[in-house]
Amino acid sequence: MLVFVTGFLLACNFLFPQTPRSVSEPVVPRPTKTGSQASDIPEAAPIGFSIVRLHPEDGDLQTLLAAEAKKAVELDRMLIVEFDATWCPPCRAIDEGLKTENELMLAAYDGTYIVKLDVDEWGWNGRSVQDFRFDGIPVYFKLDAKGQQTGEVIDGGAWGEDIPENIAPVMDEFFHRN
Amino acid sequence: MKLPLWLNVLFVIMLLSAVSVSCTTASSGPLALASFTENYVGVSIYLEHDSAGNTLLSATFTPPDGHHVYSKDISVNGVMGLGRPTLLELTENSQITALGKLIESAPAQEPDFEPKELLVYPEGPVTLSLPVELPPGNDWIDDQLKITYMACSAYQCKPPVEGKIVPVRIPGAQAFDGQ
Repeated sequence: MLVFVTGFLLACNFLFPQTPRSVSEPVVPRPTKTGSQASDIPEAAPIGFSIVRLHPEDGDLQTLLAAEAKKAVELDRMLIVEFDATWCPPCRAIDEGLKTENELMLAAYDGTYIVKLDVDEWGWNGRSVQDFRFDGIPVYFKLDAKGQQTGEVIDGGAWGEDIPENIAPVMDEFFHRN
Repeated sequence: MKLPLWLNVLFVIMLLSAVSVSCTTASSGPLALASFTENYVGVSIYLEHDSAGNTLLSATFTPPDGHHVYSKDISVNGVMGLGRPTLLELTENSQITALGKLIESAPAQEPDFEPKELLVYPEGPVTLSLPVELPPGNDWIDDQLKITYMACSAYQCKPPVEGKIVPVRIPGAQAFDGQ
């Protein structure tokens, strides 16, 4: 009798568990696209470095990067691709450091040619950004004279909180080593 | 060995009582409606009763380690375009009726960075709960909910999920209360 009772109770608990019960199929994750308004920062900063923003309607990314690489070589500047977005506070903090002409940031960016790509326009690890792979923004990829990735990448994890005192030394090292 | 009749009756009474208590207790747990992970944030949506017996539609948002999501009270377009609110919303044609405003499991706080109005929840999971009334009856029906969020750390962001429609199958009020 006791065995029967115990078995019945176990069966009841099994059939009516207290943990959440799933009543619908899990939703399949899919990429999300968001609307945004591009907030371009100046096309060319006043001293020491260049910033351009490319848009998908301008053409194929690799072709565009090859063209930008030529310009970077002519200016003797290091070509960098940055992925950002208008809704990204850390991205905004970095832009603010440049817009307000923070001396540390200006020194770190000196000699660079930054190509900005908005993830709302270009997608996130999608076909249009080819083999650029990342899981957060902002993120920076170093490119060679032909516009190909060198394999050197840096993101905010390298400097922590987004203040020029943290960002600038790390960026300086990344942009200017080699 | 043959047991006396009164002992057999006692066993049966104990058995029925135990089954009743066990099954009643089991039904007081949350009822999972949907779960998914998108843009690095896990979301689970469920129905539950609060301590007063009211029905709550809840969603728990679990961002990656070191990341936070933003206050339910910031604008849908963020603060100066930055960030996105964390929201659990009923869709226009939903058969669920909201009885109040969203309740947050932890108060949002001022961030360490500018703009200070861009309130964030503490790092880790946060749950939003909406007091609701389910449609009457014992039937289960198809419905849809709307989810919005975005996760960032102090130095990096994941892409936002904005107004994602999540299909759910919900019980009628009697079906949920009677479980």
